Amino acid sequence: MQRISGGAGDELRVLFFVMTENREKTPGSIDYGWRHQGRPVLLPEDRIVVIDDSSHMLEKALQELSMQYYFLDRCHQCGICTEACPHTNLKNADRFSPRVFIQKARLGLIDLAGGELWSCTTCGSCLQACPYEVPLVEIIVSLRNLVVEQGAGYIPPSFKAVLASLAASGNPWREDPDRRADWFNELAPREGSLPGSPEILLFAGCFPSYDSRGRSIARAAGHILQEAGIGFGILGSEEQCCGDSALKIGDLKTFKRLRNSNLQALQARHADRIYTLAPHCSHVMKTRYAYGRDDAAAVKPFLLLLHELVAGGRLPLGEVKSARAVFHDPCYLSKYEGITKEPREILARIPGLETVEMAHNGKRSLCCGGGGGGFWLDALKGERLAEIRLDEAVEAGADMLVTACPYCLAMFEASRAGDGRWASLEILDIGELVLRSLAEKPGM
Amino acid sequence: MTNRTNERAPLVLIVGGGITGLKAALTLDDFEIPAVIVEKSGELGGKVRGYAKTFPDFRSGRALVSELVERVDATEKIRVLRHCTVSGVRTEGDLYRVHLSDGTSLGVHAVILAFGFEPFDATRQEEYGYGVYPNVIAAQELEALLDPLGPTKGRLLRPSDGKPVRKAAIIFCVGSRSKRTDSPYCSRICCSYSTKQAIEIKEADPDAQVVCFYMDIRTYDRGVEEMHQYAREIGVKYIRGRVSDCSPLPDGDILVRAENTLLGKPVQGVFDLVSLSVGMMPSPDTAGLAEMLGIELGTDGFFVSADGGLSPHDTAREGIFLAGAVTGLKPIRDCILEGTSAGGRVAAYLRRRRG
Repeated sequence: MQRISGGAGDELRVLFFVMTENREKTPGSIDYGWRHQGRPVLLPEDRIVVIDDSSHMLEKALQELSMQYYFLDRCHQCGICTEACPHTNLKNADRFSPRVFIQKARLGLIDLAGGELWSCTTCGSCLQACPYEVPLVEIIVSLRNLVVEQGAGYIPPSFKAVLASLAASGNPWREDPDRRADWFNELAPREGSLPGSPEILLFAGCFPSYDSRGRSIARAAGHILQEAGIGFGILGSEEQCCGDSALKIGDLKTFKRLRNSNLQALQARHADRIYTLAPHCSHVMKTRYAYGRDDAAAVKPFLLLLHELVAGGRLPLGEVKSARAVFHDPCYLSKYEGITKEPREILARIPGLETVEMAHNGKRSLCCGGGGGGFWLDALKGERLAEIRLDEAVEAGADMLVTACPYCLAMFEASRAGDGRWASLEILDIGELVLRSLAEKPGM
Repeated sequence: MTNRTNERAPLVLIVGGGITGLKAALTLDDFEIPAVIVEKSGELGGKVRGYAKTFPDFRSGRALVSELVERVDATEKIRVLRHCTVSGVRTEGDLYRVHLSDGTSLGVHAVILAFGFEPFDATRQEEYGYGVYPNVIAAQELEALLDPLGPTKGRLLRPSDGKPVRKAAIIFCVGSRSKRTDSPYCSRICCSYSTKQAIEIKEADPDAQVVCFYMDIRTYDRGVEEMHQYAREIGVKYIRGRVSDCSPLPDGDILVRAENTLLGKPVQGVFDLVSLSVGMMPSPDTAGLAEMLGIELGTDGFFVSADGGLSPHDTAREGIFLAGAVTGLKPIRDCILEGTSAGGRVAAYLRRRRG
């Protein structure tokens, strides 16, 4: 299972490109200001393919990005990735194809002024499918990095705003960092809960901390931990965005800044067990924060703690009546971590809950479209991956779509809003569902 | 029974009674060298015995085996031990003392390993649903369905409900050319046998739809590319794109999805039957025998010959030789060739050694 891991050093050394100050526009051609050995390099889509020096330019760039040169050539163009990719389910003619992307990349035909670099949600389905272990996601992220840090092309405007906000405020919405702990402070203190060194540290993440729909996820987690008698703390205003979006959009500099700030705050807390509400956060912290080298300091998705509590009988669960739930496996839980059993075991323990499965489940889950910056991409209606998944949920006969990732939840809610097709579907985080079950227990 | 009493006569042990082993024994017999064939099953002929038709000229594999067995029976010097395997080997002077599973032992002067290969276990490629969906089968099973002496008497009826197959998909490269399943190699004959099977389906029912999903079409060798062209001329369809998954439909049909990479568009089809053209794995006996004999395996798990390829039948251990699919799957004609040349090689070896 291909993992996104740091290359040999995160530093970029791009020796083959020289950015010129003046971008001269010659009539009839697009000039991005790229020069290779002094000559202008043209990358229009309908250029006749000529295999010359500029064809290998992007490959050489990747080589300089510490990636192995032959990663692009390793691809046999077999096409198994394209069908595995969730974008194959969309109907628009210019939908993303991983195979075509690689083919273009190795011939120097990627239109860096176009949008095809930004469609990938980093879901990892292609990595699962590829027989030659081509690290597609890493290649795309590296090329994005080229564009973002070298200014060598087009960045969707919504991404620019997000990156600027992350750099300035540590969250994507220019929200006040001091308000990050508001949801935590509003949790009614339980009798007997002590301050001091809590058992665990909960890394809430941006969406659950600031967004009004998202806060319900954070509050649910908080109430559940209180119910189970587990003392927990948060970083509060010292918590910054985990940086996963910045990293996957290609802004390595901003990612590092966020990472270093978080690492300092975490180390100051001497946290032994860290749980994150979003699988993206735990994944990036595990792989890029140098956490996880020894188990005690491992960062884990909150889902696993929830499973521990439910399976251990530490939560008195009451009946959730007349509900048929279907679980949507977040990509960063199922594909990157192999976690598929635990959420289902939780649902199985909720009395009265009927469960069904969608056509694509477990490791073959269909991406909601939120990863890799997709959250901010503003795809057009009719071109959204979330819509396909919502259709699958309805087809499976569910009236409740349950997930364990704030991105997934947000993507589904955004697509569902104002569209009658899925009005019958309630969208819940698994923590919210467990909380509902707790509330149904007589005497609660 | 041992041959201690007559140590002047050389004796060769051949492990494996398939076509390679049989041909090696017959060649040794031409040199008047006695051989003992040890065959683990009850029948000689190996896998080729089960092939009603072989590529490229559709001659019967069964008939080929019968011919070889007849010739072996007609000799005096070739002994066959059925239901028998090698359980241990020691050196004893200038002999190898080979212990057999029937409790006996043999003193031999050379051993030829000719016990073939194992087909890839298609359950390891989960997305195709082999072992889960009844109408997803592997090539060996398709072979049996097409065999006039097989369970359906040669009528292509699908497993779930016995319905005649009108639409068949053949998926190439299952368990080959994939690092993901630890089989990065090409298994050489699958493109050829798949094309042969496609032709058989089409010839039996010209209105049937047969679609082959491929990465490349490696129908090399004499007469085989011509067979491929013939396949296209009778309407076998080839779509370039490695299948990403098979999913079951309510009545047992299978939905196959791939990208048509030459068009750059997704393609999907509903088929009555899907056959997975599985590649090779080393025989399960390989690792044990390699250890017993102290000889090397390649990174792909098959035996490697010594001397950088200049002595294709030799191993690093003197007196132990290789022939046939133990060094990788290959066409029948190559196995016959290797059986012949291994016999010659061993004859030369014995002559040089014993004066």
